[in-house]
Amino acid sequence: MPFLRRLLIVEWSGLAVAIVLGSVLLAVLTPNFMTEYNIYVMLRSFCVGLLVGFAQMVTLGVGQMNISVGAIGGLVAISFGGMMEALGVPLVLAVPLAIAIGALCGLINGVLTARTGINGFIITLATASAFTGINLGITEAIPFYNMPAALVAFGDERFFAFPYLLIAPIIVTALLMLFFARTVPGRQLLAVGGNPHAADLSGISRERTIVLAHVLSGGLAAIAAVLAVAQLGSAQPSIGADWLLLSFAAPIIGGAALTGGYVSVVGTTLAVILIALIENGMVLANVDPYWVQFLLGALILAAVWLNRWRAVKTGTD
Amino acid sequence: MVLTIESVSKAFPGVQALDGVSLDLKPGEIHALMGENGAGKSTLIKIITGLHQPDSGRVLLNGEPVHFASPRDAIGAGISAVHQERNLIPRFSVGENILLERPPTRGGMIDYDTINRDARKWLDMLDRGIDTRAEVRTLSVAQMQIVEIAKALSLEAKILLMDEPTASITEHETAALFTLLKRLRENGVAIIFVSHKLEEVFAIADRVTVLRDGKNAAVGEPMTTMTRDKLVSLMIGRKERIAVLGERNADMADVVLEARDLSTSDGHRNIDLALHRGEILGLYGLVGAGRSELARAILGGAEITSGELRLHDKPVRIRDMHEALSKYRLGYISEDRKAEGLILMHSVRENIAITIWRKLAGFLGLISGARESRAVEPFVEKLEIRTPSLAQTVGNLSGGNQQKVSIAKWLAANAEILIVDEPTVGIDIKTKTDIHELLGEIARDGVSIILISSDMPEMVAVADRILVMHGFRIVGEVANDHQYETASKAIMACIHAVEDDEPTSAG
Repeated sequence: MPFLRRLLIVEWSGLAVAIVLGSVLLAVLTPNFMTEYNIYVMLRSFCVGLLVGFAQMVTLGVGQMNISVGAIGGLVAISFGGMMEALGVPLVLAVPLAIAIGALCGLINGVLTARTGINGFIITLATASAFTGINLGITEAIPFYNMPAALVAFGDERFFAFPYLLIAPIIVTALLMLFFARTVPGRQLLAVGGNPHAADLSGISRERTIVLAHVLSGGLAAIAAVLAVAQLGSAQPSIGADWLLLSFAAPIIGGAALTGGYVSVVGTTLAVILIALIENGMVLANVDPYWVQFLLGALILAAVWLNRWRAVKTGTD
Repeated sequence: MVLTIESVSKAFPGVQALDGVSLDLKPGEIHALMGENGAGKSTLIKIITGLHQPDSGRVLLNGEPVHFASPRDAIGAGISAVHQERNLIPRFSVGENILLERPPTRGGMIDYDTINRDARKWLDMLDRGIDTRAEVRTLSVAQMQIVEIAKALSLEAKILLMDEPTASITEHETAALFTLLKRLRENGVAIIFVSHKLEEVFAIADRVTVLRDGKNAAVGEPMTTMTRDKLVSLMIGRKERIAVLGERNADMADVVLEARDLSTSDGHRNIDLALHRGEILGLYGLVGAGRSELARAILGGAEITSGELRLHDKPVRIRDMHEALSKYRLGYISEDRKAEGLILMHSVRENIAITIWRKLAGFLGLISGARESRAVEPFVEKLEIRTPSLAQTVGNLSGGNQQKVSIAKWLAANAEILIVDEPTVGIDIKTKTDIHELLGEIARDGVSIILISSDMPEMVAVADRILVMHGFRIVGEVANDHQYETASKAIMACIHAVEDDEPTSAG
């Protein structure tokens, strides 16, 4: 197989090239880019985004969508902040509880989708509204400000350019790679996404697998929410409100099959890096941040088109 | 008996797929299950594998009644199957697909080394050329079929069901498969083998059960007492007499569609055919003969690699369905009316008018419902489509009336040539006759029809001439005398003549 073709087959090859080119360009054009502080800022902003992307990626993998990723994030964020500030729950207990709340939201999505047979898009569109409603109902849109010092420090401090916050996404990324590559539930999740009928005939429970994907999605959104609270230093009800576009952009730019059955942990990670790089570059270049929205949209279109082109080119379509 | 089917029945909306069917399977035998299209073979396989549940009757495993609610239950009970549909995960490797049911793990992690080693073992028995690490989507159709078979074998089940396993693989691979099946038989495995190929069944099966129209035509007859003719007549049967259509007057001087030495990228070779004005030209062949594919090739669905396609004596290349209708007045009625022919959730009116919306569009490109109804009504009347109203959802009509709707839409579009693919599959005998009469009437009005069918009585009753297809070639022409005995013999003779020329694929 010629080298170019083999390179084309790796979905994320284009992303890696874009990241390298973009970094070199920014390093040359803007003196502030390669500073320790700027790299720290970029890495820190990358943490939440990556988990948001992963939360959508697992549902795409099973051939579903989760429109409520951001709504779960918001609900978890204020539950997390609220139980610590209002109820005095210690941090070590609050983190697993917060993740459990996210997983529970996912369980509701999953069971509703699997049992009713109604399209997951509609189910999660509805639960998104419900979760957001609970969030705003509890908080009346007022944030919780008194977060434990340890949490705020974790969200803020760094070792040279390395933010401690980054530890969480690194662990999650490694676990997810292992999950999809080497564990039975992980492979079953992709099998159901790849050909539900065949999975059925192979004795894999489609219902249970869809529920699992949604529970994972909720859990990952919850981790994103906890990190967002740590990063902001307060539990804002608005956390998650702007996650939806990013949640789809990252896995899709990363090469996930929209029809299900294929996701790339590495690709999604690179996509979030690329997005962080673009956002950072625009800030450094004093571009209006609203244009980031436009660019993200253009990038999704380009990525989908590129995947399509590559599939045709390599004859794997 | 390792498996007993006791008068099992299964109905789907509009069709009685199985009606009191029985079958008994002994350990260490290869049991052929035969029947024409729509006879109910696949439904029976799906009941045994837990995909469908019978409406009545019993399935007994080693004498015990069992109820399989899902494929999981059947797999758990030691039943493994190769289904007709492709059942592989395209993005997974060959090895992982083969061991999908029970991936080997080590320390909780999937063990790919073991997967590749185990998969290799099963693949080697059939085809050494397939890499266990390759993604399934990169394989050829034949290779995928081999993977399916290896997957079914790897379960080491006591009962193995194979629904047309040889449909897309080479003779060499078929021979390897047969050697393997014989070895499994010696080890006491019970095998149900579905095939349309008579020579395969004679080469490998011990007994045969034949289904016809969802009923048993034969239960567990020893192959030693079977002859080819007997088996064919069991499958085809002396069906209900289908009324022969009245005389038509095809204008044999006016050739409307002609293929000259046509070859296609689908594998058709040297196809010659001529369709005359007002003629019903039958295209008979068993499944896999390439009939529907030929229709698609004519309509631009496959590339014409050599030869010529002529319409009204001019060479043409049709790009797609749209061009076929708008430029050449050529319509195609798909054999899969539910998936391809109709929009089930739309109304009768919309389904018929869909081909003429452009013509109906008036001021500002708007389509008025009243105009649509006026355009559609005559056809509903002429075809006697039984529907409470034009607004009725097509999905709620009976199969026969659905078929009439799909014919009506081409008549509304004023098609001059119609290719009709298996128009009466799953339709009751009364409506079947209605549709036959309808085709005859349309032909009398000057429409030329190519009728694709594997329903022998239908062919004999309806067609003016019959072309016989086999292996993507036209292997004979039968001038139809509308006498079932002679015509069906003549048709089968065409197929047997070429089958006998082929080297036998039995190992």
